[in-house]
Amino acid sequence: MNAPVARAIGGRIPQLEGRDKIRGRAKYTHDIFLPNMLHGAILRSPHAAARIVRIDVSAALAMPGVVSVITARDFADEMYVNYGAGYSDRRPMALDKVRFYGEEVAAVAAETLEIAQAAIRAIRVDYEVERPALDVFQALEEGSNEIHPPRDQLPKNVAQQFDVSFGDVKEAFAKAALVVEGDFQHGIVWPICMETNAAVASYEKKDGTLQIWAGTQAPFFVRKELARVLPFDRQKIHVRSVVIGGGFGGKSQSPEQIAIAALLSIRSSRPVKIVLSRDEEYIAGKTDHAKYMSLRTAVDSEGNILGRTLKAIVDNGAYTHMGPVYTSAMRHRVANLYRVKSAAVSAKLVYTNRVPGGSYRGMGAPGIIWAIETQIDEIAEQLGLDPVEYRRRIATQPGDETLLGWKITSCGLDACLQRAAELIGWREKRGKLPKYRGIGVASMIHASGSVLYAEGNFSRIGLSVYPDGTLRLATQTADCGTGQNTLLAQILSDSLGVPMDCIDVLHMDTEESPDDLGSAASRVTFVTGNAAIDACRKLVAAVKEKLAHLWAVAPDAISYEAGRFLHPGQDEYATFAQVAQRFGTLKVEGYFEIDLKRPDPKTGYGNYAASYAFAAQTAEVEVDPETGHVRVLKIASVQDVGRVINRTALEGQTYGGIVQGMGMALGEEVLFQDGRPINRSLFNYRVPRIADTPEIVVDFVESEEEKGPFGAKAAGEPTINATVAAIANAVANATGVRFRKLPITPEMILEALRGKERRPLPNTKPLSRLRNVEIAAVRKAYPAMAPVMKALGKAVDAGRKPALPQKVVQAETVQEAVRLLREPGIKSQIIAGGTDVIPGIRQGVYAPAQLISLAKIASMRSIVQDGDVIRIGAGVTLTSLAQNDILRKHFPRLESAISQIATPIIRNRASIAGDLCQEKRCWFFRSATRCYRFAGPTCPCYAVLGENRHHSILGTGRCAAPCVSDMAPILAALDAELAFVGSSRVGKIAVEDLYVWAGETVLEADELITEISLPVPQERSAFHFEKYARWVGDFAEASAAVHIAGRRTRLGRVAISLGGVAPKPIRIRAAEELLTSRPLSSGLIEEAAKSVVYGALPMRDNAYKVELTVNVARRAIEAAVDML
Amino acid sequence: VTTADQTQQDDDLTAVRLNVNGREVQVRVGPFESLADVLRNRLELTGTKIGCASGECGACTVILDGQAVPSCVTLAALADGKAVRTVEGLAEDGEPTPLQRSFLEAGAFQCGFCTAGMLMSATALLESNPRPTEEEIRRGLQGNICRCTGYVQIIQAVQEASVA
Repeated sequence: MNAPVARAIGGRIPQLEGRDKIRGRAKYTHDIFLPNMLHGAILRSPHAAARIVRIDVSAALAMPGVVSVITARDFADEMYVNYGAGYSDRRPMALDKVRFYGEEVAAVAAETLEIAQAAIRAIRVDYEVERPALDVFQALEEGSNEIHPPRDQLPKNVAQQFDVSFGDVKEAFAKAALVVEGDFQHGIVWPICMETNAAVASYEKKDGTLQIWAGTQAPFFVRKELARVLPFDRQKIHVRSVVIGGGFGGKSQSPEQIAIAALLSIRSSRPVKIVLSRDEEYIAGKTDHAKYMSLRTAVDSEGNILGRTLKAIVDNGAYTHMGPVYTSAMRHRVANLYRVKSAAVSAKLVYTNRVPGGSYRGMGAPGIIWAIETQIDEIAEQLGLDPVEYRRRIATQPGDETLLGWKITSCGLDACLQRAAELIGWREKRGKLPKYRGIGVASMIHASGSVLYAEGNFSRIGLSVYPDGTLRLATQTADCGTGQNTLLAQILSDSLGVPMDCIDVLHMDTEESPDDLGSAASRVTFVTGNAAIDACRKLVAAVKEKLAHLWAVAPDAISYEAGRFLHPGQDEYATFAQVAQRFGTLKVEGYFEIDLKRPDPKTGYGNYAASYAFAAQTAEVEVDPETGHVRVLKIASVQDVGRVINRTALEGQTYGGIVQGMGMALGEEVLFQDGRPINRSLFNYRVPRIADTPEIVVDFVESEEEKGPFGAKAAGEPTINATVAAIANAVANATGVRFRKLPITPEMILEALRGKERRPLPNTKPLSRLRNVEIAAVRKAYPAMAPVMKALGKAVDAGRKPALPQKVVQAETVQEAVRLLREPGIKSQIIAGGTDVIPGIRQGVYAPAQLISLAKIASMRSIVQDGDVIRIGAGVTLTSLAQNDILRKHFPRLESAISQIATPIIRNRASIAGDLCQEKRCWFFRSATRCYRFAGPTCPCYAVLGENRHHSILGTGRCAAPCVSDMAPILAALDAELAFVGSSRVGKIAVEDLYVWAGETVLEADELITEISLPVPQERSAFHFEKYARWVGDFAEASAAVHIAGRRTRLGRVAISLGGVAPKPIRIRAAEELLTSRPLSSGLIEEAAKSVVYGALPMRDNAYKVELTVNVARRAIEAAVDML
Repeated sequence: VTTADQTQQDDDLTAVRLNVNGREVQVRVGPFESLADVLRNRLELTGTKIGCASGECGACTVILDGQAVPSCVTLAALADGKAVRTVEGLAEDGEPTPLQRSFLEAGAFQCGFCTAGMLMSATALLESNPRPTEEEIRRGLQGNICRCTGYVQIIQAVQEASVA
């Protein structure tokens, strides 16, 4: 076969599935509807650790519409294989014991989803609750809960441990000129695929086949696991092709919902569909792993690394999926990226009663690389070396064999470092940036084509030629959106010299394609790409064989060129289409295997991968010393990818990995209460949004890996690996502080700067609020009280059933709405935009039987000026409010204030009164924790002892959830009044008086807000709203609305209100009076700003809000004064 | 493979008239059925995705009477008489819009699950502001989460469509 003519490779080829995706035609698992299909729902454990005493499914089975109910005993007596038989510890459902909150206990298939969900609630499970081990340290304590029976002589709750060394570490540290050491830790992050996990299973009784549609990265492993746990004949399990809504590792492990859907389908002989809700995805989807790392590095006087030791504990969660890969990924990073002369690694993988770790992009590399790269920076600093130049000096080079036995072939690390430095302007900026700005650098290594799997690391790929000339690749890898199918088509196109449009790629389908280990570890381009090249070779040979017969020539005499087989003697040729027309559809199978021994299982020594990918990233950040916010201004990434196959796809992978890394560095972390994840919503778990992401520039080094397809190496995961470290190093450069814990949050930055700059914490004068004495006493008693209240609260609330509204009514007049609200025996609630009410009903925080819409009442949607007041209908949306000309004229800053509330799509729906009346967003409350606010006065407020960084610092009583309405402080400062109507009274009250201390409103159940009126300013005035939130539109951590009148030298009238820091919006009268008491000066503003936190009584994690609130208030006052 | 999925018993349904992508339809819906559910389950318009069912991710964004809204927190029963545009209704005479084309060419999606919502938010943005600045694009799409792309190519695609 002739040398391929490069055409598709290196280009910007749109994704093959792209035409369907932009038209909404791509079929994801969520979109599969089969005739006669049932819907499945899963009952999950409400405890982190408990014995299952009894499961009674009889009530569920008896419900009309319920077709099948299963528990663990309906599966084979087998466990998932997962990472390997030696680590198998999980059944498809919990048997006798639950080990994490959210674990699968029973499942139902029913005619509708509603029936299935109701049936789940009808299943009775008696648990004997055990004391859970909630973190690795608890798990390792003597009296801790034994999560699994110990195996292989390992200590209790240890799933794996090793202690290895390479070279003489002791001597290295003895000889060292400098030793740096540090303890590093990070929590768990969630992959957050936009498509939640889902599965459709269809068992055909007739032929005994089982068809599966599911977003999975590895159909191969789905078949292998299902065959074992159902059990089922593996050859009769067919995984079908679907479009997958994101993977990032989160769809690569043992497939609980797939096995459950499959068994329900087998039992009912009907198709069954299970779609996890976002909430389920959060509590039971696969996560990354939390780590604790003690790292020490010894260098000589020049900075050469003599030795490095790592002691690590990895949180495995309740079951082993990929934990052992995480421990080995740490070992890999210790001594391969830079030249290291000796190293020792001791690692423990520890079970906890938390959600089982799975895999996430990078397999833990971002965390360990962050620790290492922090130390590299520290060494450079102490030796007076430039961080980039120092890294270049110690970087691994082509031809190196590393301490762990990795044979480095192509390596563009040095070039990556140079170029990444250039792209960020390293030389011009390092050490020359203004205060609180900084730049940082980090590099990374990633295995490309590694021998990760017990099966080895092979790929098979089918290639068929059809009579219409279509060449179809069939692969069991799964394109989760990475564009791998397109890349494989490009490889085929260039290998055969045929145009892209005659190539089709079928992924995932296990009936049409031969076995392949799937999409993980960034392996497809390298491994499957090589298999595709092999398939091309075989196809050309096969066709030549056929034509040789026909033409009566020797096969070798036939030449192949760009889709044509040329006759050696005559002026004749055959195309693929003609060959298939003449001989029928032709099919060949390509094969590739990484021909390496698995590294020594004890030490990990050995050449782990066929090649290695490298990258360097640089970051520039700006830290706001008054809020602690880190703004990433720019990230430059330069990656040695061997060869660029598809520039658009590769750039996309890089941007995406970097932004995920930014989330990991600065905000993403799963937070728990008693083993339950609590920040389980996309508002509370903050993935980066578009307005908060930096400028990103990317470039690639093409080191032409000789073993790679067209020279290419792995590219998908390397993009995230260096980002966390680069950002952390930039933050250190900007602040002068090294952080040892991820994510680096605003409260950590504020606290660190306060320590470093010796800034005193503002005086809160706690006794200026007398109730604080009582509150402080109660908080002191809480550790003793809370357990009793928790138990009591659970008992009282045990009977609660989530109720969905049975009726939706559109009221034509206000009077009708009041009458409807008053209807006896029916719990009614007003709905406007629904942006709070609808999720609130799903979360169980509201339970109305009837919803009343006011959308048909015209007066509710108008804004009119009526003499000295502007009257705003209660149903006016935030968008209409922001765009209203009357309001623009009198309050020019109102529009920009409103633009900070939520997101545009929410503002298009949310109403002004709805914003005022919205329920708390506290994560305990919104995750249905049986707290005071959710379940009543016998229950505790979990914020007192739990994760309380977002909670109130001022005026808390029984509930510490802060006011999240932004309109409330805005309208309070503007002296707005609201009008309400009820059956027994009509009235007007100041917005500030709408709320009582726990945050409820003073309105009765049959009363509704009709209008908000704003006094038109009669004198020269200025208004400003200052808000600090973690992303643009997020709920306020602290906000201040300031409305002032008078002269810039002396204010005549001042209104200041705060949001986000107290259960209700509060006007700070003392500060208002202070500002009018004397001629205005910066000292007076400072004094007033400081006074807004008098009476604050912060909790464990929210003391930062004291300083933040003072700063936000000062900014608000200054900005308003500037406008006067 | 696709057939409509009737999830609700027929007795407690109410009739709702909608104009969907220019076509008048009458559909019977339950009291707590979201517009997203009705589009997907009753009208076979599965291009609109549900990512969170809470209005937090934007995957379900449709254009309702000219405004981009999260259809998962919009009750179908309350959308009676309104005009809905979904991703399926973007193409004119079967031809993708310039925005759809630039999404494809710029690589503005990977998995594509957020794409329908992203396209609808961006379409509404460009209809009200044909030449948005980068900052306006960022602010305008803040309700739509994409976990794959890091947003860079989405911004490029909207910019390209806005000058097209």
